[in-house]
Amino acid sequence: MKILVLEDDQAIGSYIADGLREEGHSVDLIANGADGLVQATVGSYDVMVIDRMLPGLDGMSIVKTLRATKNLTPVLFLTSLGGVDDRIEGLLAGGDDYLVKPFSFGELSARIVAISRRPRTEAEPTILKAADLEMDLLHRRVTRAGQALDLLPREFALLEHLLRRKGRVQTRTMLMEAVWDIHYDPLTNVVDTHISRLRGKIDKPYETELIETVRGSGYRINDT
Amino acid sequence: MIPAFGFNQVRSTPLRLTFLLLTIFAMAALACLAVAFEVTRTSIDAALAAELQQTINEYRGIQDGDDLRERLAEAAAKTDPDIRILFYVPDQGTAVSNVASFPPVSGVTIVADNSIRAKSGSVSDSYLALSARVGAGHLIVAQSREQVEEMGEIFLAVLFIGLLPALVIAGLAGLWVAKGARIKIDAIQHTLLELKSGTLSARLEGVEGRSDDLSGIGQEVNRMARAQEALVASIRQVSSDIAHDLKTPIQRVAVVLEQVMNKTTLTEGQEVLLSRAIGETERIVQTFQSLLQLAQIEGGAVRDRLHPVNLVEVSRDVVDFLEVEAEERGFALSLRVQPNVVACIKGDRHLLSQLIGNLVQNALTHVPKGGPVVVEVTGRGNETVLTVSDHGPGIPEKERGKVLQRLYRLDQSRTTEGNGLGLSLVSAISDLHGARLTLEDNMPGLRVRIIFPAVDPA
Repeated sequence: MKILVLEDDQAIGSYIADGLREEGHSVDLIANGADGLVQATVGSYDVMVIDRMLPGLDGMSIVKTLRATKNLTPVLFLTSLGGVDDRIEGLLAGGDDYLVKPFSFGELSARIVAISRRPRTEAEPTILKAADLEMDLLHRRVTRAGQALDLLPREFALLEHLLRRKGRVQTRTMLMEAVWDIHYDPLTNVVDTHISRLRGKIDKPYETELIETVRGSGYRINDT
Repeated sequence: MIPAFGFNQVRSTPLRLTFLLLTIFAMAALACLAVAFEVTRTSIDAALAAELQQTINEYRGIQDGDDLRERLAEAAAKTDPDIRILFYVPDQGTAVSNVASFPPVSGVTIVADNSIRAKSGSVSDSYLALSARVGAGHLIVAQSREQVEEMGEIFLAVLFIGLLPALVIAGLAGLWVAKGARIKIDAIQHTLLELKSGTLSARLEGVEGRSDDLSGIGQEVNRMARAQEALVASIRQVSSDIAHDLKTPIQRVAVVLEQVMNKTTLTEGQEVLLSRAIGETERIVQTFQSLLQLAQIEGGAVRDRLHPVNLVEVSRDVVDFLEVEAEERGFALSLRVQPNVVACIKGDRHLLSQLIGNLVQNALTHVPKGGPVVVEVTGRGNETVLTVSDHGPGIPEKERGKVLQRLYRLDQSRTTEGNGLGLSLVSAISDLHGARLTLEDNMPGLRVRIIFPAVDPA
């Protein structure tokens, strides 16, 4: 993917840019808001990562301007610590997601992937599959290797979220926000507990593990 | 208008002072009146006594006994016993008098009418009498004290017509003034209570620019409150400034640590140490986040963002999320919802889930032996009540106010996890929603009750 990063802090900027390059993306890093807007307008990017506070022109104004000119490139806002209403403001301005600093690289990378694929308009499938696991959304049934599995409603929701994003890493924060609508840091590994319960039902009795732990990032469900 | 007397009003200082002043005034007026009366009475009596003496002297001047009797009889016949009584008892023969009988007297004596028997007509209420030896007998001359009696009546009239209305008027005016003072004192008390309970914006109104003593005290209270508010604001400012200034360095440290973790080959021991460092950074970040969030919530910037939220749905999400964690740690976390409760409140969904989550996690952290933790949503009138209760050690009553302050921790909880901001955040979020937060005894355990105001239909 071609990614534009607008970040004025040199250390954090190059950390993001280097990391993304290592993952095989092509990255342009710009530290100034006004230059960033110009670059965002002329270059065609798949995703933009924009710090809310930038010298020259702030991130919100950049995205508002882009959206006004019908530039719909997905935007991930980076915000500083302490912003309660930053998220809402950022989303109102036309951002697609937000991330509070400091964040782990895994979180950033997973969210970039998530928003880059967001505008998909395929017909909603009624059956989700991963290897020999099948989820029937209409009848709310899950089977693995033909055997019916008994899942609690929230376990079903968690599995559904992972299956819909098969092959893509979902961080703990992303899971918490999507499945439970929890937007604060509970300071505990509650998500891990939920995952381990789910694993107990869908993975443990079988030979292959479908839910993979991605070190430093989160979880991913795989086809094999 | 006479203000109603409540027990408190009678005990109030201004009212007590009014009564005291009135009593002193009344006593002084009565004393003056009494002294004036006594002086006047004495001088009248002295004049009467002189007159009596002169009359007696006149009769003494008559040497001849018959002439004396004749003169006395003539005088007695002419004299109205209501004004003057002549009573002559000769050593021999019948008495000469204008009354039937008169008690014996010696010296100047006051004689009341009940010891005098009249011949005809009436006698006065009291007399000043003097007896002396005149010729061959005793003469008693008694002069009516009508003047003194009348003067007494005048003094009583002065007392009733003049003093009593004056006392009533002074009393009413005093009550009115006392009521005014009471209102001011009540206002001062109310403001002080509000300040004490943490509403630092509380001020006394209508005291600026006035010069009476209570307004002066009011101005001092306002000045003190302003100083206090400024001080607290500056402390908050400093703590959030520090947090702001340290944000970037912490972010960089976190970035560097993660780079080391991901991009260098580490021995197992180094990795453990590094993980610990990363964990500590996360804790620092979390504390800072909470401090900055507190500052922002208390600043009220989020207030415009409140929308109708279903408290039951939020509670269900949080309970659902934390249930497994609670179970692993030996707790039974449950949600109780009163049937048909109106759970829609005006709020911020994310902050509300943080509030409930913090309370539940607080219970999980501070109750050592596990047990039930109940989140409950009930209605009270048209208010919505959220309670979170546990069966833990609870919070001693005198500590309950303090645990809501930022960074305050009970001594017993120093060794457990947490940064001392959880309950401050709960309190700040509750304030933001205009809710009333109370910490109660769950017998045993702690019950946190938050009463959310009704949503106005507008």
